[in-house]
Amino acid sequence: MLNLWRKIRAHGRVAEPPVGGRGYPLVPGLRGSVQVRHVDAGSCGGCEVEIGAAFGPVYDAERYGARLVASPRHADALLVTGVVTRNMSEPLRRTYDAVPAPKLVVAVGDCARDCGVFKGAYGVAGAVGDVLPVDAEVAGCPPRPEAIVAAVRGLTGR
Amino acid sequence: MNLTESALGLAVGVAALAALAVAALPGRWRPACAGAGTALAGAAGVAAGVAALTGRPFSLSLPGLLPLSGLEFGADRLSGFFIAVTGAVAVPAGVYATGYLRHSGTSRSACAFLPLFAASMLLVPAAAWAVTLLACWELMALTSLLQVLAEHRRRPEVAEAGRWYAVMTHLGFACILAALMLAGGGSLLAVRHLPAGLAGTVFVLALAGFGSKAGIVPLHAWLPRAHPEAPSHVSALMSAAMVNLGVYGIIRTGFGLLGGGARWWWLLVLALGAVSAVYGILQAAMSSDLKRLLGYSTTENMGLVLVGLGAAGLFAGTGHRVLAGLALTAALLHVAGHAAFKTLLFLSAGAVAQRAGTRDLDALGGLRGGMPATTAAFAWGALAASALPPGTAFVSEWLLLQALIHGLPGGGTAAAVVLPTAVAAVALTAGLSAATFVKAFGTGFLARPRSDGAARAAEAPGSMLAGMALAGAACAVLALVPGAVLPALARAAAMTAGPAVAGLVTLRLSGAAGELSPLLLALAVLAVTLVAAGWLRVLPGRRARRAARLWDCGAGPLTARMEYTATAFAEPLQRVFDDVLAPETGIDVTHLDEARYLVAAVEYRRRVPDRVERRLYQPALAAVRAWGEAGRRLAPGSVHRYLGYGFYAVVALLIVLTVTR
Ligand code: SF4
Repeated sequence: MLNLWRKIRAHGRVAEPPVGGRGYPLVPGLRGSVQVRHVDAGSCGGCEVEIGAAFGPVYDAERYGARLVASPRHADALLVTGVVTRNMSEPLRRTYDAVPAPKLVVAVGDCARDCGVFKGAYGVAGAVGDVLPVDAEVAGCPPRPEAIVAAVRGLTGR
Repeated sequence: MNLTESALGLAVGVAALAALAVAALPGRWRPACAGAGTALAGAAGVAAGVAALTGRPFSLSLPGLLPLSGLEFGADRLSGFFIAVTGAVAVPAGVYATGYLRHSGTSRSACAFLPLFAASMLLVPAAAWAVTLLACWELMALTSLLQVLAEHRRRPEVAEAGRWYAVMTHLGFACILAALMLAGGGSLLAVRHLPAGLAGTVFVLALAGFGSKAGIVPLHAWLPRAHPEAPSHVSALMSAAMVNLGVYGIIRTGFGLLGGGARWWWLLVLALGAVSAVYGILQAAMSSDLKRLLGYSTTENMGLVLVGLGAAGLFAGTGHRVLAGLALTAALLHVAGHAAFKTLLFLSAGAVAQRAGTRDLDALGGLRGGMPATTAAFAWGALAASALPPGTAFVSEWLLLQALIHGLPGGGTAAAVVLPTAVAAVALTAGLSAATFVKAFGTGFLARPRSDGAARAAEAPGSMLAGMALAGAACAVLALVPGAVLPALARAAAMTAGPAVAGLVTLRLSGAAGELSPLLLALAVLAVTLVAAGWLRVLPGRRARRAARLWDCGAGPLTARMEYTATAFAEPLQRVFDDVLAPETGIDVTHLDEARYLVAAVEYRRRVPDRVERRLYQPALAAVRAWGEAGRRLAPGSVHRYLGYGFYAVVALLIVLTVTR
């Protein structure tokens, strides 16, 4: 048992280093592993389907070191979809507050980037960038899973 | 006249004087007088009990006081123990009552009978003759009944509880009367040699009578009714002191009067104890009324005591006197520990009920802010009750388990089957009691208040807190240095069996391998807690810190409606023990008139009735009622018919007498 502990101590973290081909991670402290919390700020549901596909067995974004978690308290990054509705703008801000630093925000889909098809609609508070500082964007309505995986790899750097 | 005798005389005298003074004084002075009288009588009782426990027996004969038989008192070590425990409960209860009664405005009679109730409980273990015991027992029953009924004007449930209590306690009295008369009456301190069948009958009758007072299943039905409805200092006196006298009666008749007896007696006691322990704590776990929960927990603890008694009887029967002494010592220690923590729990629960206006755990919560001292008192009591170190019940249950486990090899077939089952029952009880008290404390005192009453609750006055502090100190002594009282208990138990435990800081079992040091254990727990707390404080100190809002899913503030309720906390247990508890649930879904697919309201009901009561008492009550209805036809109200009955009865009697002569 003690031997095992000693080995664990000596080896530290055993994982492939970030290769850097896709650019280094946005935050060096994350070191190739990013915990992601998804927030639906007013989406039509289409982006959720694609995120589900990106983290599903076909595209398997987890192999690049990203993982969907159940609470912002556990997360390093927020994956925000949809326009920010009036009702969701305060909860979105609170969710961002609840994420421990360092933290990243990814706006997924055209709605999140610039309100997309809902631009000017009743009840819309704005795009994600109007409420939170956005670090990365994924275009498309809905974006293809490949695009989401590519953005996630940008975060993890792998 | 030795110390025991004079102290006991003093206790009775003080109580009688206090009762008279309460009757004479104006309303303002009554609470202080009744409380002080009870506390002083209790203190004198402690002195008398300790004197008798440390080897100053007495006997006193008052031939003129009761016609035909007179009154005979006497106390040996065993009586001394029970007198001391009763007195020690009466002191905090009396101190507490001075504050409690002032705020609840109880009547003159309820105040006046409080010291008398305490004194009658002190006299029961000091009774040396059968008739004296019966007289004191009845006095205790009547004074306690008056106490239970104290708040009947304000709450209608009290009357029903009082009826149950009156009937059950008098049925118990009838059983004890029959048992003692069959045993030939006379002195209780001398061993009687009866034929086996008769001795068995006497024992079973005594077990029923005394066991009903101790709240043993299936004779417990009055206990969870009467104890919650009484004012809280009375609940404490009943639940912590009066039930013990049932145990005293069983020890006195089983070991003393009948001198041991057959093996099946003690197997019966052990089985009843194990069933009571598990059933009592299960019902307590389901209960969401704070005081009812405590009442059921009394049944559980008396069950554990009976397990100890049964084991002691079994071991004594097979000649293992050391183990018998150990089991009996464990039982006595549990009696003392239970008295201490149950007093504390009932007193703090009473403060909650008075201040928050409700005993319903589902409507309490958040008392930590308004009543910090009461919350601390209840927390200490809950820890003491849940058989975890450094609690009070932990030491006695450890001793009990040691006795049961060490008794395995030499007990024969019956013991080989019964003892492991008893160990399992004790272990299960310990686990469930921890869950129960986590529920009671967590949902009742922590989190946010669930009702206006709980939100407005203010701290109890000083006298009530002083009562709790006294009981809490007793818990601490019994939990940390049980070695201070154990030798005396072991000697009280040795009177009937043999010495068992030694050591002041480290308890060592004599005659069996086993050691425990509650004080060191408590220190270790304290040290680990301090180190962990300090570490948690130091560890994040090096990094930058940021205060963030409590995570509430981003929605509005958390409300009390989102909290775990007591009922919800108990639900998983209810599922596990579904077959035993047989809960009644029902769902009513109301639809909108316009469309069957739209739901207007959903109503969910759940009740966990006492199953023993449902299966045993309700049919019996129904039979009694049917019998009464049938008897009604004989009495239609015609005077002629009644005269006819008298005439025919006399004629029938004459015929019988002629024929049998
Ligand atoms: S981007 Fe398109 S798919 Fe995504 S939420 Fe907006 S409308 Fe729906």
